[in-house]
Amino acid sequence: MEAAIEVNRKNRKIPVIPEMADRCYTCGTCGGGCPATGLVPGWDARKAIRAIVFGMEQEVVDSKWPWVCTLCGRCQYQCPMGIQLMRTFRACRTARERDLVPGPIHKGTMMNLERGNNLGIPKDDFLFLLADLGVEMENDEEQPTPGFYVPVDKEGANIITTINSKEPFGEPDDMKFWWRIFYAAKEDWTVSSVNLEGVNWGLFSGDDPRMKEQVGRVIENARRLKCKTILYPE
Amino acid sequence: MDLLEDYIKSGRIKLNKHKYHETVTVHDPCNYVRKSQMAFGDHTGEKTRWITKQCFDESLYREMCDDPMNNFCCGAGGGAWAMPYDEERLAYGKVKVDQIRDSGAEIVVAPCHNCRDQIMKGLAGEFKKGREGFDMGNYTETLYLWELVANCLEYEPWSEEEQAAARAARDAQFERDGIELEEE
Repeated sequence: MEAAIEVNRKNRKIPVIPEMADRCYTCGTCGGGCPATGLVPGWDARKAIRAIVFGMEQEVVDSKWPWVCTLCGRCQYQCPMGIQLMRTFRACRTARERDLVPGPIHKGTMMNLERGNNLGIPKDDFLFLLADLGVEMENDEEQPTPGFYVPVDKEGANIITTINSKEPFGEPDDMKFWWRIFYAAKEDWTVSSVNLEGVNWGLFSGDDPRMKEQVGRVIENARRLKCKTILYPE
Repeated sequence: MDLLEDYIKSGRIKLNKHKYHETVTVHDPCNYVRKSQMAFGDHTGEKTRWITKQCFDESLYREMCDDPMNNFCCGAGGGAWAMPYDEERLAYGKVKVDQIRDSGAEIVVAPCHNCRDQIMKGLAGEFKKGREGFDMGNYTETLYLWELVANCLEYEPWSEEEQAAARAARDAQFERDGIELEEE
């Protein structure tokens, strides 16, 4: 009798190793507890794992499933067989051609590597914004902070914080929350003028080399400025 | 979060527990509970709640889940906030909507930029439009955890000497970076 499905374990995009799918016994705990079940017709966590075991990985990679899944990790945390579903679905994102990554996260990753933040904010604009916000905060009516400014590229500071570029881009006042806390605590802190981004879209787009490059830049800033602690302020 | 906890416990910052009189609940970002636990063997579920309770009277706290490790994703994780699948993202978030409504809380504390945007702009946006399936009950607003802490701070302005030292350092930095402020 001819096998219904020929499973070729070589040359696969998604490796079929026990912890990444192979020992699934299809109990459905993953899909049963998943808010994304029912959102992508034809797919849920359990089906996607089974499809990958059966060599239909390209179907999963081409589907919306790995992107509507938020990689929240509930399925992986609960799986009685210890299958790393989150890691597998992220591997599906990795296997997507880069120019087919949905939305701005791949473009943002490229922008970040080119200009130091996901949204392409120029360095001068960023520095002037920090200076202006510092003055605003000093003179704030409700919570004045006399003597406050944003220390930029300060060598030897105790803490260096990354920036979520959406804040200087669209919600600059939201940066003041942490700044007020630093003021009250009299923290010795700083921000880097270059490669300030803390949001790593390569993590979400499944782009390991660029994700590592981004992490390396955050560490490089801390080393260059001889800061003891890196703070991702979220 | 470790830093906030440290500031509070060591007395470096002092908080007013009675600024807010609304009921409050805490949302757990996936990165700080499950993913943190799986990657580093520790998670922040208890820390987030403890910090929140330093800003509110204990009697105002409402819980939204049985266990932080099993709390649901807001629906915008993994980059979904930035992706073009808005309807899927909102439908996913209905689970969070139900949790918030059932908690009875007015304020939701979100210790993550992404979760805050989804709850405040995404889910509450639909709630405020009155869309079916998005009844968030008593909900009024979402706060970042550090926004809550900043709003509850009780602090003294720096001394004259500290201010003078900071201004001198600021002026040197502005000169180095070529920044000229308009006259204050």
